[in-house]
Amino acid sequence: MEPSAVLSIRGLSKRYSGRRGVQANDGIDLDVLAGQVVGLLGHNGAGKTTLVNQVVGLVRPDAGSIRLDGIDAVADPDGARRLASIQAQANVPITGLTPRTAIQLVGRIRGGSRREVAARTQGLIETLDIGSWADMPSQKISGGIARLTAFCMTAVVPGRIVVLDEPTNDVDPVRRRLLWDAIRTLADDGAGVLLVTHNVREAERVVDHLVILDQGKVIAADTPAGLAASTRGVLTVELDLVPSLGGGLGWPPGVTGTTRERLRAAGTVPAELAADVVRWAQAQVDAGAVERYALTAASLEDVYVRLVGSDRAPVAADAELAVVA
Amino acid sequence: MTAVRQGLLLLQWQLRRGSTVMPLLVVVQIGMAVATVVGYGLLVGDPTPDVALYLATGAPTITLITVGLVMTPQMLGQAKTEGSLDWMRTLPVPRWTFLASDLLMWTLIALPGMVLGVVAGVLRFDVQLSIAPWLVAAALLVSLTSASVGYAMASVLPPMLAMLLTQVLVFVVLLFSPVSYPASRMPEWLQHAHEYLPIEPMAQVVRAGLANADFSVPGRSVVVLCVWCVASVGAALAALRRRA
Repeated sequence: MEPSAVLSIRGLSKRYSGRRGVQANDGIDLDVLAGQVVGLLGHNGAGKTTLVNQVVGLVRPDAGSIRLDGIDAVADPDGARRLASIQAQANVPITGLTPRTAIQLVGRIRGGSRREVAARTQGLIETLDIGSWADMPSQKISGGIARLTAFCMTAVVPGRIVVLDEPTNDVDPVRRRLLWDAIRTLADDGAGVLLVTHNVREAERVVDHLVILDQGKVIAADTPAGLAASTRGVLTVELDLVPSLGGGLGWPPGVTGTTRERLRAAGTVPAELAADVVRWAQAQVDAGAVERYALTAASLEDVYVRLVGSDRAPVAADAELAVVA
Repeated sequence: MTAVRQGLLLLQWQLRRGSTVMPLLVVVQIGMAVATVVGYGLLVGDPTPDVALYLATGAPTITLITVGLVMTPQMLGQAKTEGSLDWMRTLPVPRWTFLASDLLMWTLIALPGMVLGVVAGVLRFDVQLSIAPWLVAAALLVSLTSASVGYAMASVLPPMLAMLLTQVLVFVVLLFSPVSYPASRMPEWLQHAHEYLPIEPMAQVVRAGLANADFSVPGRSVVVLCVWCVASVGAALAALRRRA
Protein backbone atom coordinates (compact mmCIF):
# COMPACT_ATOMS: atom_id res chain seq x y z
CA MET A 1 0.00 0.00 0.00
CA GLU A 2 1.36 3.41 -0.95
CA PRO A 3 1.88 5.64 2.08
CA SER A 4 -0.32 8.46 0.75
CA ALA A 5 -3.27 6.35 -0.44
CA VAL A 6 -6.45 7.97 0.88
CA LEU A 7 -8.53 5.06 -0.40
CA SER A 8 -7.17 1.56 -0.54
CA ILE A 9 -9.38 -1.35 -1.55
CA ARG A 10 -8.19 -4.93 -1.51
CA GLY A 11 -9.98 -8.09 -2.65
CA LEU A 12 -13.40 -6.47 -2.40
CA SER A 13 -16.26 -8.86 -3.18
CA LYS A 14 -20.00 -8.43 -2.94
CA ARG A 15 -22.71 -10.79 -4.06
CA TYR A 16 -26.37 -9.76 -3.95
CA SER A 17 -28.49 -12.67 -2.88
CA GLY A 18 -31.90 -13.36 -4.32
CA ARG A 19 -33.30 -15.62 -6.96
CA ARG A 20 -30.81 -14.43 -9.53
CA GLY A 21 -27.82 -13.72 -7.34
CA VAL A 22 -25.43 -11.21 -8.89
CA GLN A 23 -21.71 -11.10 -8.19
CA ALA A 24 -21.52 -7.31 -8.30
CA ASN A 25 -17.89 -7.01 -7.16
CA ASP A 26 -15.39 -9.81 -7.52
CA GLY A 27 -12.00 -9.33 -5.87
CA ILE A 28 -11.44 -5.67 -6.68
CA ASP A 29 -8.13 -3.94 -5.85
CA LEU A 30 -8.01 -0.17 -6.19
CA ASP A 31 -6.00 2.74 -4.78
CA VAL A 32 -6.64 6.44 -4.87
CA LEU A 33 -3.77 8.66 -3.76
CA ALA A 34 -4.13 12.16 -2.38
CA GLY A 35 -4.12 14.64 -5.24
CA GLN A 36 -5.09 12.01 -7.77
CA VAL A 37 -8.19 11.65 -9.94
CA VAL A 38 -8.90 7.99 -10.56
CA GLY A 39 -11.45 7.21 -13.25
CA LEU A 40 -13.63 4.16 -12.77
CA LEU A 41 -15.05 3.00 -16.09
CA GLY A 42 -17.41 0.20 -16.89
CA HIS A 43 -20.65 -0.53 -18.68
CA ASN A 44 -24.01 -0.49 -16.91
CA GLY A 45 -24.08 -3.17 -14.24
CA ALA A 46 -20.29 -3.54 -14.11
CA GLY A 47 -20.38 -3.01 -10.34
CA LYS A 48 -19.30 0.63 -10.10
CA THR A 49 -22.13 1.88 -7.91
CA THR A 50 -21.90 -1.18 -5.64
CA LEU A 51 -18.24 -0.34 -5.14
CA VAL A 52 -19.08 3.27 -4.26
CA ASN A 53 -21.85 2.25 -1.86
CA GLN A 54 -19.43 0.02 0.02
CA VAL A 55 -16.97 2.87 0.46
CA VAL A 56 -19.59 5.02 2.21
CA GLY A 57 -21.09 2.17 4.23
CA LEU A 58 -24.46 1.74 2.53
CA VAL A 59 -23.52 -1.78 1.44
CA ARG A 60 -21.51 -4.28 3.45
CA PRO A 61 -18.90 -6.26 1.51
CA ASP A 62 -18.80 -10.07 1.68
CA ALA A 63 -15.02 -10.10 1.63
CA GLY A 64 -12.08 -7.77 1.27
CA SER A 65 -10.98 -4.55 2.92
CA ILE A 66 -11.57 -0.85 2.42
CA ARG A 67 -9.21 1.56 4.15
CA LEU A 68 -9.98 5.23 4.05
CA ASP A 69 -7.09 7.37 5.22
CA GLY A 70 -6.14 4.60 7.62
CA ILE A 71 -9.68 3.89 8.85
CA ASP A 72 -11.24 0.48 8.31
CA ALA A 73 -14.40 1.52 6.46
CA VAL A 74 -16.04 -1.89 6.83
CA ALA A 75 -15.72 -1.96 10.62
CA ASP A 76 -16.25 1.79 11.12
CA PRO A 77 -18.64 3.14 8.48
CA ASP A 78 -19.38 6.25 10.58
CA GLY A 79 -15.68 7.08 10.65
CA ALA A 80 -15.40 6.46 6.91
CA ARG A 81 -18.28 8.81 6.17
CA ARG A 82 -16.52 11.61 8.00
CA LEU A 83 -13.63 11.31 5.54
CA ALA A 84 -15.64 10.88 2.35
CA SER A 85 -17.99 13.06 0.39
CA ILE A 86 -20.08 11.53 -2.32
CA GLN A 87 -22.16 12.67 -5.26
CA ALA A 88 -24.61 9.87 -5.88
CA GLN A 89 -25.71 8.77 -9.31
CA ALA A 90 -29.32 9.78 -8.64
CA ASN A 91 -29.99 13.46 -8.16
CA VAL A 92 -30.63 14.58 -4.61
CA PRO A 93 -34.13 16.04 -4.40
CA ILE A 94 -33.84 19.57 -3.02
CA THR A 95 -37.39 20.82 -3.58
CA GLY A 96 -38.15 23.68 -1.24
CA LEU A 97 -34.54 24.88 -1.22
CA THR A 98 -32.55 27.03 -3.60
CA PRO A 99 -29.27 25.61 -4.92
CA ARG A 100 -27.34 28.06 -2.78
CA THR A 101 -29.13 27.19 0.48
CA ALA A 102 -28.81 23.48 -0.28
CA ILE A 103 -25.06 23.78 -0.89
CA GLN A 104 -24.54 25.91 2.21
CA LEU A 105 -26.59 23.65 4.49
CA VAL A 106 -24.68 20.58 3.37
CA GLY A 107 -21.40 22.43 3.80
CA ARG A 108 -22.31 23.30 7.38
CA ILE A 109 -23.54 19.77 8.11
CA ARG A 110 -20.11 18.65 6.87
CA GLY A 111 -18.58 20.83 9.56
CA GLY A 112 -17.70 24.03 7.70
CA SER A 113 -18.17 27.37 9.45
CA ARG A 114 -20.96 29.60 8.15
CA ARG A 115 -18.58 32.16 6.65
CA GLU A 116 -16.19 29.68 5.01
CA VAL A 117 -19.08 27.77 3.53
CA ALA A 118 -20.73 30.89 2.14
CA ALA A 119 -17.49 31.97 0.47
CA ARG A 120 -16.74 28.52 -0.91
CA THR A 121 -20.32 28.18 -2.19
CA GLN A 122 -20.05 31.47 -4.04
CA GLY A 123 -16.71 30.33 -5.50
CA LEU A 124 -18.19 27.08 -6.82
CA ILE A 125 -21.26 28.84 -8.22
CA GLU A 126 -18.98 31.21 -10.12
CA THR A 127 -16.63 28.47 -11.28
CA LEU A 128 -19.50 26.48 -12.76
CA ASP A 129 -21.31 29.57 -14.02
CA ILE A 130 -24.66 28.74 -12.40
CA GLY A 131 -25.17 32.12 -10.73
CA SER A 132 -28.45 32.82 -12.53
CA TRP A 133 -30.05 29.78 -10.93
CA ALA A 134 -28.35 29.89 -7.53
CA ASP A 135 -31.17 31.67 -5.76
CA MET A 136 -34.09 30.22 -7.65
CA PRO A 137 -36.42 27.64 -6.05
CA SER A 138 -35.08 24.28 -7.16
CA GLN A 139 -38.44 23.25 -8.66
CA LYS A 140 -37.60 25.65 -11.49
CA ILE A 141 -34.10 24.47 -12.35
CA SER A 142 -33.16 22.01 -15.09
CA GLY A 143 -31.65 18.57 -14.62
CA GLY A 144 -28.20 19.79 -15.60
CA ILE A 145 -28.21 22.58 -13.04
CA ALA A 146 -29.51 20.15 -10.40
CA ARG A 147 -26.58 17.89 -11.25
CA LEU A 148 -24.09 20.74 -10.89
CA THR A 149 -25.75 21.70 -7.60
CA ALA A 150 -25.25 18.14 -6.38
CA PHE A 151 -21.59 18.41 -7.35
CA CYS A 152 -21.26 21.65 -5.36
CA MET A 153 -22.94 19.98 -2.37
CA THR A 154 -20.21 17.33 -2.54
CA ALA A 155 -17.31 19.71 -3.16
CA VAL A 156 -18.26 22.53 -0.79
CA VAL A 157 -16.46 20.86 2.12
CA PRO A 158 -14.74 17.95 0.41
CA GLY A 159 -13.68 14.86 2.32
CA ARG A 160 -10.21 13.34 2.07
CA ILE A 161 -11.80 11.26 -0.65
CA VAL A 162 -14.42 12.63 -3.01
CA VAL A 163 -16.53 10.11 -4.90
CA LEU A 164 -18.36 11.38 -7.97
CA ASP A 165 -20.81 9.03 -9.65
CA GLU A 166 -21.52 10.26 -13.21
CA PRO A 167 -21.13 13.97 -12.38
CA THR A 168 -21.46 15.15 -16.00
CA ASN A 169 -24.84 13.56 -16.79
CA ASP A 170 -27.34 16.10 -18.18
CA VAL A 171 -24.77 18.91 -18.08
CA ASP A 172 -24.35 21.09 -21.17
CA PRO A 173 -21.01 20.91 -23.07
CA VAL A 174 -19.77 24.33 -21.96
CA ARG A 175 -20.42 23.72 -18.28
CA ARG A 176 -19.08 20.16 -18.60
CA ARG A 177 -15.68 21.69 -19.34
CA LEU A 178 -15.99 23.95 -16.29
CA LEU A 179 -16.97 20.91 -14.24
CA TRP A 180 -13.97 18.88 -15.40
CA ASP A 181 -11.72 21.77 -14.37
CA ALA A 182 -13.44 21.95 -10.97
CA ILE A 183 -12.89 18.19 -10.50
CA ARG A 184 -9.21 18.59 -11.37
CA THR A 185 -8.96 21.47 -8.88
CA LEU A 186 -10.43 19.30 -6.11
CA ALA A 187 -7.55 16.86 -6.57
CA ASP A 188 -4.95 19.60 -6.95
CA ASP A 189 -6.13 20.97 -3.60
CA GLY A 190 -5.25 17.63 -2.01
CA ALA A 191 -8.31 15.37 -2.09
CA GLY A 192 -8.31 11.96 -3.72
CA VAL A 193 -11.06 11.80 -6.33
CA LEU A 194 -12.75 8.61 -7.45
CA LEU A 195 -14.66 9.44 -10.61
CA VAL A 196 -17.25 7.02 -11.93
CA THR A 197 -18.12 7.87 -15.50
CA HIS A 198 -19.18 6.71 -18.93
CA ASN A 199 -17.76 9.79 -20.51
CA VAL A 200 -14.40 8.29 -21.39
CA ARG A 201 -13.35 10.88 -23.94
CA GLU A 202 -13.81 13.82 -21.66
CA ALA A 203 -12.57 12.14 -18.50
CA GLU A 204 -9.32 11.33 -20.30
CA ARG A 205 -8.24 14.95 -19.85
CA VAL A 206 -8.44 15.03 -16.07
CA VAL A 207 -7.74 11.53 -14.79
CA ASP A 208 -4.34 10.40 -13.57
CA HIS A 209 -5.25 6.75 -13.44
CA LEU A 210 -7.97 4.60 -14.93
CA VAL A 211 -9.57 1.44 -13.66
CA ILE A 212 -11.85 -0.51 -15.97
CA LEU A 213 -14.45 -2.79 -14.40
CA ASP A 214 -16.27 -5.55 -16.20
CA GLN A 215 -18.65 -7.97 -14.50
CA GLY A 216 -17.35 -7.00 -11.09
CA LYS A 217 -13.67 -7.51 -11.94
CA VAL A 218 -10.87 -5.07 -12.70
CA ILE A 219 -9.88 -5.91 -16.27
CA ALA A 220 -7.41 -3.07 -16.73
CA ALA A 221 -5.79 -0.44 -14.55
CA ASP A 222 -3.17 1.99 -15.73
CA THR A 223 -2.48 5.60 -16.61
CA PRO A 224 -4.34 6.87 -19.66
CA ALA A 225 -1.06 6.82 -21.59
CA GLY A 226 -0.34 3.29 -20.45
CA LEU A 227 -3.75 2.05 -21.52
CA ALA A 228 -3.42 3.75 -24.88
CA ALA A 229 0.10 2.39 -25.42
CA SER A 230 -1.19 -0.55 -27.43
CA THR A 231 -2.61 1.86 -29.96
CA ARG A 232 0.50 3.98 -30.31
CA GLY A 233 1.55 4.32 -33.92
CA VAL A 234 -1.99 3.82 -35.15
CA LEU A 235 -4.28 6.64 -36.20
CA THR A 236 -7.92 6.83 -37.16
CA VAL A 237 -9.02 8.66 -40.26
CA GLU A 238 -12.58 9.97 -40.28
CA LEU A 239 -14.35 11.45 -43.29
CA ASP A 240 -17.61 13.42 -43.48
CA LEU A 241 -19.02 12.55 -46.89
CA VAL A 242 -21.07 14.84 -49.11
CA PRO A 243 -24.68 13.64 -49.17
CA SER A 244 -24.66 13.21 -52.96
CA LEU A 245 -21.72 10.77 -53.01
CA GLY A 246 -22.98 7.64 -54.67
CA GLY A 247 -20.29 5.03 -55.25
CA GLY A 248 -17.33 3.73 -53.29
CA LEU A 249 -14.53 5.80 -51.81
CA GLY A 250 -11.45 4.09 -53.13
CA TRP A 251 -9.37 4.14 -49.93
CA PRO A 252 -5.62 4.53 -50.48
CA PRO A 253 -3.31 1.56 -49.72
CA GLY A 254 -2.49 0.96 -46.04
CA VAL A 255 -5.89 1.97 -44.68
CA THR A 256 -7.49 -0.97 -42.90
CA GLY A 257 -10.58 -1.71 -40.84
CA THR A 258 -12.69 0.69 -42.85
CA THR A 259 -16.31 1.34 -41.95
CA ARG A 260 -18.93 3.27 -43.87
CA GLU A 261 -22.18 4.79 -42.65
CA ARG A 262 -24.44 7.02 -44.67
CA LEU A 263 -22.46 10.25 -44.34
CA ARG A 264 -19.45 9.02 -42.45
CA ALA A 265 -16.51 6.78 -43.19
CA ALA A 266 -13.58 5.78 -41.02
CA GLY A 267 -10.48 3.62 -41.20
CA THR A 268 -7.25 2.79 -39.37
CA VAL A 269 -3.94 4.17 -40.63
CA PRO A 270 -0.37 3.31 -39.56
CA ALA A 271 1.32 6.56 -38.43
CA GLU A 272 4.01 6.41 -41.12
CA LEU A 273 1.34 6.59 -43.85
CA ALA A 274 -0.41 9.58 -42.25
CA ALA A 275 0.99 12.14 -44.67
CA ASP A 276 -0.10 10.07 -47.70
CA VAL A 277 -3.58 9.65 -46.32
CA VAL A 278 -3.92 13.37 -45.59
CA ARG A 279 -2.86 14.15 -49.18
CA TRP A 280 -5.43 11.67 -50.46
CA ALA A 281 -8.17 13.03 -48.22
CA GLN A 282 -7.45 16.63 -49.23
CA ALA A 283 -7.74 15.54 -52.87
CA GLN A 284 -11.14 14.03 -52.06
CA VAL A 285 -12.23 17.34 -50.50
CA ASP A 286 -11.02 19.22 -53.59
CA ALA A 287 -12.89 16.74 -55.79
CA GLY A 288 -16.08 17.39 -53.83
CA ALA A 289 -16.56 13.83 -52.50
CA VAL A 290 -15.67 14.64 -48.89
CA GLU A 291 -16.76 17.64 -46.83
CA ARG A 292 -14.04 17.41 -44.23
CA TYR A 293 -11.64 14.90 -42.75
CA ALA A 294 -9.76 14.32 -39.55
CA LEU A 295 -6.86 12.20 -38.43
CA THR A 296 -6.88 11.40 -34.73
CA ALA A 297 -4.89 9.28 -32.35
CA ALA A 298 -6.86 6.23 -31.23
CA SER A 299 -8.77 7.40 -28.14
CA LEU A 300 -9.12 5.82 -24.75
CA GLU A 301 -12.68 5.16 -25.69
CA ASP A 302 -11.48 2.91 -28.52
CA VAL A 303 -9.28 1.09 -26.01
CA TYR A 304 -12.18 0.81 -23.60
CA VAL A 305 -14.55 -0.53 -26.23
CA ARG A 306 -11.98 -3.12 -27.25
CA LEU A 307 -11.51 -4.22 -23.64
CA VAL A 308 -15.14 -4.60 -22.62
CA GLY A 309 -16.50 -5.53 -26.03
CA SER A 310 -18.24 -3.24 -28.47
CA ASP A 311 -21.67 -4.68 -27.73
CA ARG A 312 -21.49 -2.96 -24.36
CA ALA A 313 -19.93 0.31 -25.43
CA PRO A 314 -20.56 3.39 -23.34
CA VAL A 315 -22.56 6.25 -24.76
CA ALA A 316 -20.03 7.88 -27.08
CA ALA A 317 -19.46 11.56 -26.74
CA ASP A 318 -19.12 13.47 -29.97
CA ALA A 319 -15.70 12.73 -31.35
CA GLU A 320 -13.25 15.51 -30.97
CA LEU A 321 -11.64 16.23 -34.28
CA ALA A 322 -7.94 16.72 -33.99
CA VAL A 323 -6.38 17.24 -37.36
CA VAL A 324 -2.74 16.36 -37.24
CA ALA A 325 -1.82 17.13 -40.83
CA MET B 1 -21.64 19.41 20.40
CA THR B 2 -20.95 18.85 16.72
CA ALA B 3 -23.64 16.19 16.67
CA VAL B 4 -26.23 18.56 18.13
CA ARG B 5 -25.29 21.24 15.59
CA GLN B 6 -25.52 18.71 12.78
CA GLY B 7 -28.88 17.52 14.06
CA LEU B 8 -30.28 21.05 14.06
CA LEU B 9 -28.92 21.70 10.56
CA LEU B 10 -30.49 18.46 9.35
CA LEU B 11 -33.77 19.51 10.95
CA GLN B 12 -33.49 22.80 9.10
CA TRP B 13 -32.83 20.90 5.86
CA GLN B 14 -35.89 18.69 6.37
CA LEU B 15 -38.19 21.54 7.39
CA ARG B 16 -37.11 23.73 4.48
CA ARG B 17 -37.43 20.86 2.04
CA GLY B 18 -40.92 20.31 3.33
CA SER B 19 -41.78 24.01 3.45
CA THR B 20 -44.38 23.58 0.71
CA VAL B 21 -46.26 20.72 2.41
CA MET B 22 -45.55 21.32 6.10
CA PRO B 23 -48.13 24.10 6.59
CA LEU B 24 -50.71 21.86 4.95
CA LEU B 25 -49.72 18.96 7.18
CA VAL B 26 -50.15 21.10 10.27
CA VAL B 27 -53.54 22.36 9.07
CA VAL B 28 -54.68 18.79 8.39
CA GLN B 29 -53.46 17.78 11.84
CA ILE B 30 -55.42 20.59 13.47
CA GLY B 31 -58.49 19.73 11.42
CA MET B 32 -58.13 16.09 12.39
CA ALA B 33 -57.84 16.90 16.11
CA VAL B 34 -60.87 19.17 16.06
CA ALA B 35 -62.84 16.70 13.91
CA THR B 36 -62.14 13.91 16.39
CA VAL B 37 -63.67 15.96 19.19
CA VAL B 38 -66.63 17.20 17.17
CA GLY B 39 -67.19 13.88 15.35
CA TYR B 40 -67.21 11.73 18.46
CA GLY B 41 -69.50 14.31 20.00
CA LEU B 42 -71.96 13.64 17.20
CA LEU B 43 -71.61 9.88 17.65
CA VAL B 44 -72.44 9.92 21.34
CA GLY B 45 -75.03 12.71 21.28
CA ASP B 46 -75.10 14.80 24.41
CA PRO B 47 -72.36 13.24 26.56
CA THR B 48 -72.34 13.14 30.32
CA PRO B 49 -69.52 15.16 31.93
CA ASP B 50 -67.27 12.13 32.47
CA VAL B 51 -67.76 10.88 28.87
CA ALA B 52 -67.08 14.41 27.64
CA LEU B 53 -63.88 14.58 29.65
CA TYR B 54 -62.84 11.24 28.17
CA LEU B 55 -63.43 12.52 24.64
CA ALA B 56 -61.70 15.84 25.19
CA THR B 57 -58.61 14.24 26.69
CA GLY B 58 -58.49 11.44 24.08
CA ALA B 59 -58.37 13.68 21.01
CA PRO B 60 -54.82 14.97 21.56
CA THR B 61 -53.55 11.40 21.78
CA ILE B 62 -55.24 10.56 18.48
CA THR B 63 -53.38 13.48 16.88
CA LEU B 64 -50.02 12.44 18.26
CA ILE B 65 -50.52 8.83 17.22
CA THR B 66 -51.68 9.57 13.68
CA VAL B 67 -48.72 11.84 12.98
CA GLY B 68 -46.33 9.20 14.21
CA LEU B 69 -47.95 6.12 12.78
CA VAL B 70 -49.27 7.53 9.51
CA MET B 71 -47.39 10.61 8.38
CA THR B 72 -43.93 9.47 9.46
CA PRO B 73 -44.02 6.21 7.46
CA GLN B 74 -45.55 7.98 4.46
CA MET B 75 -42.84 10.65 4.37
CA LEU B 76 -40.09 8.13 5.02
CA GLY B 77 -41.47 5.90 2.26
CA GLN B 78 -41.35 8.85 -0.09
CA ALA B 79 -37.77 9.69 0.92
CA LYS B 80 -36.85 6.07 0.26
CA THR B 81 -38.48 6.05 -3.17
CA GLU B 82 -37.04 9.36 -4.35
CA GLY B 83 -33.55 8.42 -3.15
CA SER B 84 -33.04 11.21 -0.67
CA LEU B 85 -32.86 8.80 2.28
CA ASP B 86 -29.87 6.97 0.82
CA TRP B 87 -28.16 10.23 0.05
CA MET B 88 -28.72 11.53 3.56
CA ARG B 89 -27.30 8.29 4.86
CA THR B 90 -24.00 9.13 3.13
CA LEU B 91 -23.62 12.36 5.11
CA PRO B 92 -21.07 12.33 7.94
CA VAL B 93 -23.78 12.45 10.59
CA PRO B 94 -24.12 9.78 13.31
CA ARG B 95 -27.24 7.68 12.76
CA TRP B 96 -28.75 8.57 16.12
CA THR B 97 -28.40 12.29 15.31
CA PHE B 98 -30.18 11.69 12.05
CA LEU B 99 -32.99 9.81 13.81
CA ALA B 100 -33.25 12.40 16.58
CA SER B 101 -33.62 15.28 14.14
CA ASP B 102 -36.29 13.43 12.18
CA LEU B 103 -38.26 12.47 15.30
CA LEU B 104 -37.97 16.03 16.59
CA MET B 105 -39.44 17.27 13.33
CA TRP B 106 -42.46 14.96 13.64
CA THR B 107 -43.01 16.06 17.20
CA LEU B 108 -42.96 19.71 16.14
CA ILE B 109 -45.51 19.00 13.42
CA ALA B 110 -47.81 17.15 15.81
CA LEU B 111 -47.74 19.79 18.53
CA PRO B 112 -50.10 22.48 17.11
CA GLY B 113 -52.75 19.84 16.38
CA MET B 114 -52.46 18.46 19.85
CA VAL B 115 -52.81 21.84 21.53
CA LEU B 116 -55.78 22.88 19.37
CA GLY B 117 -57.39 19.47 19.92
CA VAL B 118 -57.32 20.18 23.65
CA VAL B 119 -58.71 23.69 23.13
CA ALA B 120 -61.51 22.34 20.88
CA GLY B 121 -62.41 19.72 23.49
CA VAL B 122 -62.56 22.26 26.28
CA LEU B 123 -64.75 24.60 24.24
CA ARG B 124 -67.06 21.92 22.83
CA PHE B 125 -67.69 19.98 26.03
CA ASP B 126 -67.04 22.65 28.59
CA VAL B 127 -64.76 20.40 30.65
CA GLN B 128 -62.48 21.37 33.48
CA LEU B 129 -58.80 20.41 32.96
CA SER B 130 -56.14 20.06 35.62
CA ILE B 131 -52.80 20.01 33.90
CA ALA B 132 -49.94 18.03 35.44
CA PRO B 133 -46.44 19.51 35.40
CA TRP B 134 -45.13 16.48 33.49
CA LEU B 135 -47.64 16.78 30.62
CA VAL B 136 -45.00 18.03 28.16
CA ALA B 137 -42.73 15.10 28.99
CA ALA B 138 -45.65 12.70 28.54
CA ALA B 139 -46.58 14.22 25.19
CA LEU B 140 -42.96 13.94 24.05
CA LEU B 141 -42.81 10.30 25.11
CA VAL B 142 -46.02 9.49 23.22
CA SER B 143 -44.89 11.41 20.16
CA LEU B 144 -41.44 9.84 20.20
CA THR B 145 -42.81 6.33 20.59
CA SER B 146 -45.42 6.56 17.86
CA ALA B 147 -43.02 8.27 15.45
CA SER B 148 -40.37 5.61 16.02
CA VAL B 149 -42.88 2.80 15.59
CA GLY B 150 -43.85 4.43 12.30
CA TYR B 151 -40.20 4.95 11.39
CA ALA B 152 -39.29 1.36 12.14
CA MET B 153 -42.32 0.14 10.19
CA ALA B 154 -41.39 2.19 7.10
CA SER B 155 -37.75 1.17 7.35
CA VAL B 156 -38.38 -2.53 7.56
CA LEU B 157 -41.38 -2.97 5.22
CA PRO B 158 -41.58 -2.28 1.48
CA PRO B 159 -43.10 1.22 0.95
CA MET B 160 -46.38 -0.09 -0.49
CA LEU B 161 -47.02 -2.44 2.41
CA ALA B 162 -46.10 0.23 4.95
CA MET B 163 -48.62 2.62 3.36
CA LEU B 164 -51.40 0.04 3.55
CA LEU B 165 -50.59 -0.79 7.12
CA THR B 166 -50.81 2.88 8.11
CA GLN B 167 -54.37 3.02 6.74
CA VAL B 168 -55.36 -0.01 8.80
CA LEU B 169 -53.71 1.45 11.87
CA VAL B 170 -55.67 4.72 11.66
CA PHE B 171 -58.85 2.70 11.71
CA VAL B 172 -57.71 0.63 14.67
CA VAL B 173 -56.56 3.69 16.61
CA LEU B 174 -59.74 5.67 15.95
CA LEU B 175 -62.34 2.98 16.54
CA PHE B 176 -60.86 -0.01 18.27
CA SER B 177 -58.63 1.53 20.88
CA PRO B 178 -59.52 2.72 24.36
CA VAL B 179 -58.51 6.31 23.60
CA SER B 180 -61.80 8.18 23.37
CA TYR B 181 -63.85 5.71 25.38
CA PRO B 182 -63.05 3.44 28.35
CA ALA B 183 -61.55 -0.01 27.70
CA SER B 184 -64.44 -1.62 29.58
CA ARG B 185 -66.66 -1.17 26.50
CA MET B 186 -64.45 -3.42 24.37
CA PRO B 187 -64.63 -7.20 24.13
CA GLU B 188 -62.40 -8.92 26.63
CA TRP B 189 -59.89 -10.28 24.10
CA LEU B 190 -59.34 -6.79 22.71
CA GLN B 191 -58.90 -5.39 26.21
CA HIS B 192 -56.33 -8.06 26.78
CA ALA B 193 -54.50 -7.23 23.52
CA HIS B 194 -54.38 -3.56 24.48
CA GLU B 195 -52.60 -4.46 27.69
CA TYR B 196 -49.53 -5.17 25.58
CA LEU B 197 -49.98 -2.55 22.84
CA PRO B 198 -48.72 1.01 23.33
CA ILE B 199 -51.98 2.79 22.41
CA GLU B 200 -53.83 2.54 25.72
CA PRO B 201 -50.79 3.60 27.78
CA MET B 202 -50.32 6.55 25.42
CA ALA B 203 -53.93 7.62 25.99
CA GLN B 204 -53.55 7.16 29.74
CA VAL B 205 -50.45 9.32 30.16
CA VAL B 206 -51.86 12.15 28.06
CA ARG B 207 -55.24 11.95 29.79
CA ALA B 208 -53.74 11.94 33.25
CA GLY B 209 -51.49 14.81 32.23
CA LEU B 210 -54.44 16.89 31.08
CA ALA B 211 -56.95 16.00 33.78
CA ASN B 212 -54.71 15.11 36.65
CA ALA B 213 -57.48 15.51 39.21
CA ASP B 214 -59.69 12.88 37.54
CA PHE B 215 -57.27 10.30 36.11
CA SER B 216 -54.05 8.59 37.05
CA VAL B 217 -51.59 6.40 35.13
CA PRO B 218 -51.12 2.78 36.23
CA GLY B 219 -47.43 2.01 36.73
CA ARG B 220 -47.73 -0.93 34.39
CA SER B 221 -48.78 1.38 31.54
CA VAL B 222 -45.69 3.52 32.02
CA VAL B 223 -43.55 0.40 31.83
CA VAL B 224 -45.32 -0.87 28.69
CA LEU B 225 -44.96 2.51 27.03
CA CYS B 226 -41.28 2.81 27.92
CA VAL B 227 -40.57 -0.69 26.61
CA TRP B 228 -42.25 0.19 23.32
CA CYS B 229 -40.35 3.45 23.16
CA VAL B 230 -36.95 1.88 23.71
CA ALA B 231 -37.69 -1.04 21.38
CA SER B 232 -38.99 1.11 18.53
CA VAL B 233 -36.19 3.67 18.75
CA GLY B 234 -33.77 0.74 18.75
CA ALA B 235 -35.47 -0.81 15.73
CA ALA B 236 -35.48 2.49 13.83
CA LEU B 237 -31.81 3.01 14.63
CA ALA B 238 -30.95 -0.53 13.56
CA ALA B 239 -32.84 0.00 10.30
CA LEU B 240 -30.88 3.19 9.61
CA ARG B 241 -27.59 1.47 10.39
CA ARG B 242 -28.37 -1.57 8.26
CA ARG B 243 -26.11 -2.14 5.27
CA ALA B 244 -27.36 -4.03 2.23
